[in-house]
Amino acid sequence: MRRMAVFILFALFGAGIAPAAFAQDAEVVLRIGLTQDWETLNPAAGFAVSEYEIWNVHYATLTDKAADDFAPIGGLAESWVPSNDGLTYTYTLRDGLKWSDGEPLTAEDVAWNVNTSRDQEWDNMLSTVINLDAKVIDDRTVEITSSVPDPKLPNMDIYLVPKHIWEPIATDYDSTVEYDGLDGVGSGPFVISEFTKGQSVVMVANPNYWGWEGETPPIDRVIFQTFANPDAMVAALQQGELDAIHGFPAGSAATLEADPNIEVVAGRQGGFDEIAINGGAVVGQPHPALLDLEVRRAISFAVDKEAVIEDLWFGLAGPLETMSPGADEAKWIPEIPADKAFTYDPDRANQILDDAGYLDTDGDGVREMPDGTNPIVLRHAVNTDGDLAGPIGELFTGWMQAIGIGVELASYDQDALFGVIIEGDYDTFFWGWVPFVDPDPMLSYFTEAELESYNDANWTDPRYEELYLEQKVELDPQRRIDIVHEMLTIFHDAAIYIPMYLGPDLQAYRTDTFEGWVRQPAEVGPVMFSNSSPSYRLLRPVGSEAAGDSNDGTNWVLIGGLVAIVVVGGALAVARRKSTADDRE
Amino acid sequence: MTSLAMQRRRATAGRVLGQFRSSKQGVIGFSVLLVFVVIALAAPLLADVRELNPVYARASGNPQWASPGEFGALGTDHLRRSVWVQFVWGSRVSLFVGLAATILTISIGSVVGIVSGFVGGRPDAFLMRITEWFLVIPFLPLAIVLASILGRNVWNIILVIGVTSWPSTARLLRAQVLTVKQRLFVDRARSLGAGNGHLVARHILPNVSGLILANATLAVPISILTETTLSFLGLGDPSSPSWGKTLEEAFVNGAMVRNAWWYFLPAGLGILIVVLAFTLIGRTLEEIADPRLGRSR
Repeated sequence: MRRMAVFILFALFGAGIAPAAFAQDAEVVLRIGLTQDWETLNPAAGFAVSEYEIWNVHYATLTDKAADDFAPIGGLAESWVPSNDGLTYTYTLRDGLKWSDGEPLTAEDVAWNVNTSRDQEWDNMLSTVINLDAKVIDDRTVEITSSVPDPKLPNMDIYLVPKHIWEPIATDYDSTVEYDGLDGVGSGPFVISEFTKGQSVVMVANPNYWGWEGETPPIDRVIFQTFANPDAMVAALQQGELDAIHGFPAGSAATLEADPNIEVVAGRQGGFDEIAINGGAVVGQPHPALLDLEVRRAISFAVDKEAVIEDLWFGLAGPLETMSPGADEAKWIPEIPADKAFTYDPDRANQILDDAGYLDTDGDGVREMPDGTNPIVLRHAVNTDGDLAGPIGELFTGWMQAIGIGVELASYDQDALFGVIIEGDYDTFFWGWVPFVDPDPMLSYFTEAELESYNDANWTDPRYEELYLEQKVELDPQRRIDIVHEMLTIFHDAAIYIPMYLGPDLQAYRTDTFEGWVRQPAEVGPVMFSNSSPSYRLLRPVGSEAAGDSNDGTNWVLIGGLVAIVVVGGALAVARRKSTADDRE
Repeated sequence: MTSLAMQRRRATAGRVLGQFRSSKQGVIGFSVLLVFVVIALAAPLLADVRELNPVYARASGNPQWASPGEFGALGTDHLRRSVWVQFVWGSRVSLFVGLAATILTISIGSVVGIVSGFVGGRPDAFLMRITEWFLVIPFLPLAIVLASILGRNVWNIILVIGVTSWPSTARLLRAQVLTVKQRLFVDRARSLGAGNGHLVARHILPNVSGLILANATLAVPISILTETTLSFLGLGDPSSPSWGKTLEEAFVNGAMVRNAWWYFLPAGLGILIVVLAFTLIGRTLEEIADPRLGRSR
């Protein structure tokens, strides 16, 4: 008992001392947990959602995207004017722009990025810059001309890397993508200071970021920490070791919602999961039955999407009939008429297979090809790095069993699965996409040009191809939407993808540490890991409003002390940058 | 000659059995194991295999995450499947993999150990360097790499365990063969014209068989634990419901967070008890084969 009392005294005493000592250099730190790791922080080479988020914070872009609706707004450029023919845009940069290392950021940087990424075909930038040419008019003026009408302009959301650092490195494609990208020189609200693969990315405030508008950044550091186990991440948020988490399991949503200091966000930005069927267009050897549309239709009818939404997402995901190509779901996804939709109906699936002549001639429960040979057994690839791939694989086995199709599950980690997909050495697999704002990249994946690359259904269609080229240069917004809808209807009818659901990004943040989280797009979107992640510039430590405009630092010390006690993390604000949040998860 | 030898062997078997029966730990281990073997063999009678199919489980109206009181003997999981059914069928896979991998381990280990010890010289040096090579490579990383390369099905898992865990058996047997080889009766047999094959089959092997048996029994729990480890790390066969896979699925799908103890506890305890049973039996056999162990206790 006495020992306990001593301990408590000590604890109180210690607590009294600690903040005082701490407050002198109290840092405001924002800590964010995620379950994905980073392969590379080089924006010319990476492709994971985790990597896009770092670039969203590290690099400012020429035009930014509005948090509400992705409309182009001022970024590094404060204004732009189109030419009469709509092919050329002249951008005027803000006055006094600097990189985080103090070097001036000029029109020369912008033009070099556009032209070099086009010439060297940097993967991330190519779909934006392929038809563009940039010309420096003066330090603050750059002219960008497209060789064809481009509905994406004036949006210019590629990450701009510092020319003075990259020019000697980026001599050709290979040397560019091999670079580690850890120079730490950026133009966004925070810049990379430390990267430990498998652990964390530490970013420090960039006082030269234009969006601070001369004020001291309210957050000193942002730490992104990756967790191998999502449950550990959830626990860290509950205990206040993290300020926000991204990508937690749907099963934890109810627990987190019950915590009064935690806000849960099921952010929708067009992301969806699907089961892809190998269409055998060029490479690989899918089971021959899959080349028959009737078999693919039967498989689509046999998949119970409702069960997945109900049991694995606890109702948090939305229904989906064809792929979702852009961040604005309502705009780009066409209505598929009920009589064409693949609504769960195993009896109908069996009927289709019977009618098409795929019968179980030897009575072993597995159908054979119409000539009685080659039982239909599908190789379903399971991504061991995906949380839902395992359960989906087991469900898929069950669904297929009900219509007399066998399934062999084969596990791969994500890197190995990429290889299998490129080689076309699979029949089906479960995967997820988060599309860009503009539907063009997602639509481009199912063209011939992307075979043996992003075309992971290994499928092409001549009409789809034609329409793709049409929408790419269609400047009338409504007409373009109609073309995209037609493409997606063709895609749906081909039954090459089984779109499972529109999946939300499950995120949660503590309401007692930082405030100012903003959803992108408005109301339905996520608060981070979004298309341009505007939250980082707007976040402030809770209760710092009064201190916000005083620059003498005194209040900051007090607040810093309080924050150090209450929270572990710090805050940060971010700039709005635009960037693209593409990708494969 | 033959009948004499058979008589002698029968007598030895009887003596071993007698000693085993008088050992409390041996009897307990054996009885416990028997229960699990019966469960594994009777799986089709005890649990409807269709219940392993999540589509069937949903169609038959099973609740999700039901606790043991709410559904069946052991509740249900995230895909509405009965945990009892997974436990029963999982015992089959776990025991099968454990035994099969042990046979492989012991076969490789025995051949290498006996050849090495008996032949000596350069072959011995060569085999022992290979054995040491396998001994110094950290076991788990090697198993993980092999499992990733070979692909994930039950046979490959057996192969991985067999290939990675034989070296200690080989070293142990080599040492034993070296002592046996020095005994007078080996020299006598040799001077009477016995060839190497005869010597190994008739004189060496019978004298190390007890050790092989004891070692095999002790290798089973290691194999089971390895299978569990690999499955838990996501490297198991995705279509076999082993106990390790049950643990992995429970862990990945948030059973710990929701306190769904009924999902992981049965498989965890199953592994613990079976491993303990094999260890008890193995210890007992080891004491019989090498009486010094018994006395020193």
